[in-house]
Amino acid sequence: MKILVTAKRVEDPESKIKVKPDGSGIVQEGLKYKINPFDEIGVEEGLRLVAKHGGEVVVVSIGGKEVQEQLRHALAMGATRAVWVNHTGPLDQMGVAGLLQKVAEKEKPDLVILGKQAIDDDQNQVGQYLAEFLGWGQATFASKVESLESEQEKNKVPALQMGADNKSVRVVREVDNGLATLECALPAVVTTDLRLNLPRYASLPGIMKAKSKPIEELTPAKLSVDVTPKVQVLKMASPPPRKAGIKVPDVATLVDKLRNEAKVV
Amino acid sequence: MADVLPEAFLRAVADGFPADFLTREPGELQEYGRDWTRVHSPAPSAVAFPRTTDEVARLLALCNQYRVPVVPSGGRTGLAAGAVAARGELVLSLQRMNRMEPVELLGNTVRVQAGAVTEAVHHHCAEHGLTWPVDFASKGSSQVGGNIATNAGGVKVIRYGLTRQWVLGLQVVTAQGQVLELNGALEKNNTGADLRQLFIGSEGTLGIITEATLKLTPLPGKQDVFLFAVPDVAAVLRLFREARRAPLLLSAYEFFTDKCLARVQRHRKLRSPFEAPSGCYVLMEAEGKDAAEVEGWLGSLFERGLVTDGTMAQSPSQAIELWALRESISESLSATGLPHKNDVSLPVANLEAFCSEMDAVFGERYPGWEIALFGHIGDGNLHINIMKPEGMEKAEFLAHTKKADPTMFELVRKHGGSISAEHGIGLLKKDYLAFSRSPAELEMLRTLKRALDPNNILNPGKILDV
Repeated sequence: MKILVTAKRVEDPESKIKVKPDGSGIVQEGLKYKINPFDEIGVEEGLRLVAKHGGEVVVVSIGGKEVQEQLRHALAMGATRAVWVNHTGPLDQMGVAGLLQKVAEKEKPDLVILGKQAIDDDQNQVGQYLAEFLGWGQATFASKVESLESEQEKNKVPALQMGADNKSVRVVREVDNGLATLECALPAVVTTDLRLNLPRYASLPGIMKAKSKPIEELTPAKLSVDVTPKVQVLKMASPPPRKAGIKVPDVATLVDKLRNEAKVV
Repeated sequence: MADVLPEAFLRAVADGFPADFLTREPGELQEYGRDWTRVHSPAPSAVAFPRTTDEVARLLALCNQYRVPVVPSGGRTGLAAGAVAARGELVLSLQRMNRMEPVELLGNTVRVQAGAVTEAVHHHCAEHGLTWPVDFASKGSSQVGGNIATNAGGVKVIRYGLTRQWVLGLQVVTAQGQVLELNGALEKNNTGADLRQLFIGSEGTLGIITEATLKLTPLPGKQDVFLFAVPDVAAVLRLFREARRAPLLLSAYEFFTDKCLARVQRHRKLRSPFEAPSGCYVLMEAEGKDAAEVEGWLGSLFERGLVTDGTMAQSPSQAIELWALRESISESLSATGLPHKNDVSLPVANLEAFCSEMDAVFGERYPGWEIALFGHIGDGNLHINIMKPEGMEKAEFLAHTKKADPTMFELVRKHGGSISAEHGIGLLKKDYLAFSRSPAELEMLRTLKRALDPNNILNPGKILDV
């Protein structure tokens, strides 16, 4: 079984993120980066499936040479090899999905796992576009009921389960009113939700081994994808700062404020 | 000891200070009467919240006049009951005095009031690429004045030393209400005995620190955070021996046992990065000089069987997660049980001998008890936490540990160590001070106390009795 997993480079939420005064983007200086947490969950799920069914996890990222850091992280966790689509400059969700489509067509995986969204732009579109471009089935927001993998949770059926003949996958996904279970014919596209698993830490031997694992370099030109963005970012702005809280002297005042100022009761 | 504040004193305070200067509200008394220790019941008479040095000075003059005992109070994160007010004292909280002046970029210094929170100072300086390298788990609550008054240590001592090394100048209010400016912002000042040093680590018994000029240093370069699994304390020390000679600049070398980790997992629901449990864990933070060299060294640790497992943070978020395992220990021990804490230090060279004999002491004094061991082993500093067995009464537990402590301290003395590495003496350790200080030293400390605070109003009963 071959599983293709994405590893987008995103700003680490521990960095201080500031919008540039002219609204053209965010201040890059001093920022730290990490693998998109939803993608990291995807890598973990891919590794667990491969541990059970055999095969390999191939990890893919798009960006300048710095995205190799995130590819190495996924390789250190246990992915077998990496594909790096070398591209700098603006890219919209259809551009990303177009590149991933070509990579998927080249790699011919049984399953593509992506984070349901990246924590930088929170778009939640690429997985869906990709499934459409490939003409494959899709199951978004793969999830489990409880977070943090309690003992009970570990004993439960995993959210992603391969069919007996390895030709289909059953996916438990979180929806507004509970859980839905889908069955998709393979190959398929699955996107991960937060509560799917807790990704492992890369072990030191894994980190060192990752340095010699192969990273294949591709470009949009080599993949024959026109990545000219159709969506243009006009302006970025910070949300208005929150007003400071106030102390109220008693319950009556609190109720009054809730009723007449906040109008929530 | 005055249980009730004199009427005349209260009138003078009401006349001379703002309306919100003093509180006697029971909830506040409970809160401000104690630190992170839970041995004494808080019972202060009142809490004062000055906003200026002038208010501190006028208040102390009154306290001296009316013989009102004062417990100076910062972030109250101490672990030796140095900030505990259990005998009707007046608590003097510096928390409203938290102003920070702009960072002085030529001299790399910053002047702050005593109530500035440690982490706020870090943020204030980080904008300029600088830091005040006093760093520990309680940095979000602890205050500069308290850090200085206790000469706090923490997790970066191996690289930067104690708080003492990072204080240029102090403003101190004496027991009589005089304001002293000591050393200003001077790096060099050879004009006789350095009085500033007298107040650093004095735990509020000689004067009240109201402002300080802090010495800053450039923020360190990229730090890698590692967590290693090793079988036992001997292996922790073996690895340390290697780390000392490694092509790395160490800024932290911390260890904790599986018992600590279990309590952290119970209280904070954090998880171990490793699949298999291990006897001990080492958290190492270091700045690598040469990536290839560091890699070679790391590889050799596994080849030589010095570690059984290990991980390295792959992002700042992961570094914070790994640090959380170490930094949550103190809090988790107290939240899940009652620890009796010993904070001892040894010359690093004697650690191995001490640790092997320590096991014998544990076996004899605490057979079958849970002992949670962790610490800044790179500084020779061990935090020994004896956990109260389930079902044992608190009083019996405390009596038992009180009886057992001298055996431990005798061992510390034998190996040339200190009975309080960084927590201070406060109320908790004062009975044992003689294990680390000679009779001549103790007499000198008493003479100093009597000279500076003849009415014994400043944190009376802490460190030693006059």
